[in-house]
Amino acid sequence: MSPKAVQYRANSIIFFKGDKSEWVYLLNAGKVSLNYVDVETGQEVHDLIKMGEFFGVKSGLGRYPREETAVVLQDSSVMAFTPQEFELFAAKNTRIITKMLKVFSNQLRCIHKQVQTLMVSDAQENPETGLYKIGEYYLKNKRYGQALHAFKRYLVYYPTGAYAGDATNKIVQAEEFVSRYGSGAAQASPAAARAPASAGSPEGPAAGASEAPRREKSGELSDTAQQYYNAVSLVSQEKHTEAFKAFKKILEAGGDQEYAAKAEFEMAKCLFHLKQYDSCVRTFSSIVQKFPKHPDLREALFYVARSYEEKGDAAKAGGLYKKITTMAGDDDPVVRRARKALKAMEGQKA
Amino acid sequence: MSPAPDLSMFKRFMVSFRKGDIIFCEYEPGDTFYLIQSGRVQIVRIIGDLEKNIDILYPGEMFGEMAILEEAPRSATTIALDDVKALEFNRENFEVLMMGNPAIAMKLLKLFIKRIYDQKRRFMILTLDDTEARVADVFLMLAENQSMDTSAVDSIDFKTTVDDMSHWAGIPVAQTREALNHFVAQRRIELHPDRIVVKNINDFQRFVNSRRKHQEK
Repeated sequence: MSPKAVQYRANSIIFFKGDKSEWVYLLNAGKVSLNYVDVETGQEVHDLIKMGEFFGVKSGLGRYPREETAVVLQDSSVMAFTPQEFELFAAKNTRIITKMLKVFSNQLRCIHKQVQTLMVSDAQENPETGLYKIGEYYLKNKRYGQALHAFKRYLVYYPTGAYAGDATNKIVQAEEFVSRYGSGAAQASPAAARAPASAGSPEGPAAGASEAPRREKSGELSDTAQQYYNAVSLVSQEKHTEAFKAFKKILEAGGDQEYAAKAEFEMAKCLFHLKQYDSCVRTFSSIVQKFPKHPDLREALFYVARSYEEKGDAAKAGGLYKKITTMAGDDDPVVRRARKALKAMEGQKA
Repeated sequence: MSPAPDLSMFKRFMVSFRKGDIIFCEYEPGDTFYLIQSGRVQIVRIIGDLEKNIDILYPGEMFGEMAILEEAPRSATTIALDDVKALEFNRENFEVLMMGNPAIAMKLLKLFIKRIYDQKRRFMILTLDDTEARVADVFLMLAENQSMDTSAVDSIDFKTTVDDMSHWAGIPVAQTREALNHFVAQRRIELHPDRIVVKNINDFQRFVNSRRKHQEK
């Protein structure tokens, strides 16, 4: 079995929205557009398929109804793969899968964010309270090993959090229970909840509960990462001044380069929220100069544009929004936001 | 199922958990994902005062993959149901794994496809303004998840609770209960402690369709 080449005339349809079929297509020559209505904006979107690009992958492999109508704009030649043929082909061309994984993870991130936005009205637990409550649940249900784990994780992320005192007390309680009755549901080893198999004997038993979170084994959070997450949690509580200070501390400590860079980026965002637009622009400009290929370049530019807009410099803001919309990644949320901002600016002018 | 891929070259990523260990807690920030090598992993969420089993995963399956997308809090707690050995990856070594192992990459690709579809379906529910329509649409989604052809059946028994329905519909429990009670009064559903019987799923399909059309106007 091998994929078959199919010719389509201009104005014909390869598949309709709602169709169920397993074919996965590759555009060899011609021009094909995927047409669908954006659920968020209600607008009809036409996505042109690039030559050499696959389409119909999600619906074909997932066996879901087609989400778009594939319209042939010019006489085209496509290869049609069955899922099995596609898998065989992709297995020999791993780059294709990794590229698709990136596209899909981007789409997933996008739709996940949209869902989260609509869920705001739902009484969602904030992560800090949620994590603490998990500990409480397991303690109440006499699953001491698991309670201990949850409380310890709580202290890792929120060493000065609202429940830090309670969590510390409950760790002492849970440890007592563990030593008296075992871990509860199953014999867990609290200190070595996750020891790398190759790392020989795990660390000794858990030290005093009041001990500051210690550096954990490979794969777990470093001190810098913990500080970073604490700062991120401040952002989520909209405590931008405190968050800024915390990020600055990470940057100045100059330890883990990855987290230092992340912290600097977050600092610049905090500056925007603190309405310090000039500083925000300066910080982002320096980041972009340092890392011209920064993975979050679009977001950086977006904040710079918004800062200019807030300062009343519509020309610079508009120019930057336009630039973002021309950057690759059409379904990127930042690109969409930029497009929206541009539209709003144009609306104001009218 | 295809034969398990040879992962011996990834030994350095191997972590082990003892039976009963929590692998990660819901609400923790996450930056790692796992591929189970041996043992089973249970996925749970604590909703109200109950620990709810979401899924049980077996060797060859993955979990925590959302972490490679963003540093969002974990959406569930994972517990080792047996002694578990798993490969632990983060965003940095993710690509190495994928390039070296197309079978895993393909598995993840399919998992992403499913997740995208699930999230889109969920999003559709949340775009409905009317609470009763949302609750009805949750039933339709649950029926779709069971790969049920709703046109072929009428009455369906759903192993779900008011809390679950509230979660999917994105509305508070009290309001969800109210909507469900209304359906009970209309004899459209039967409410049991651990399950809900929808007497005519097609009736819900029509109801949701009409609300959606009404909203589009």
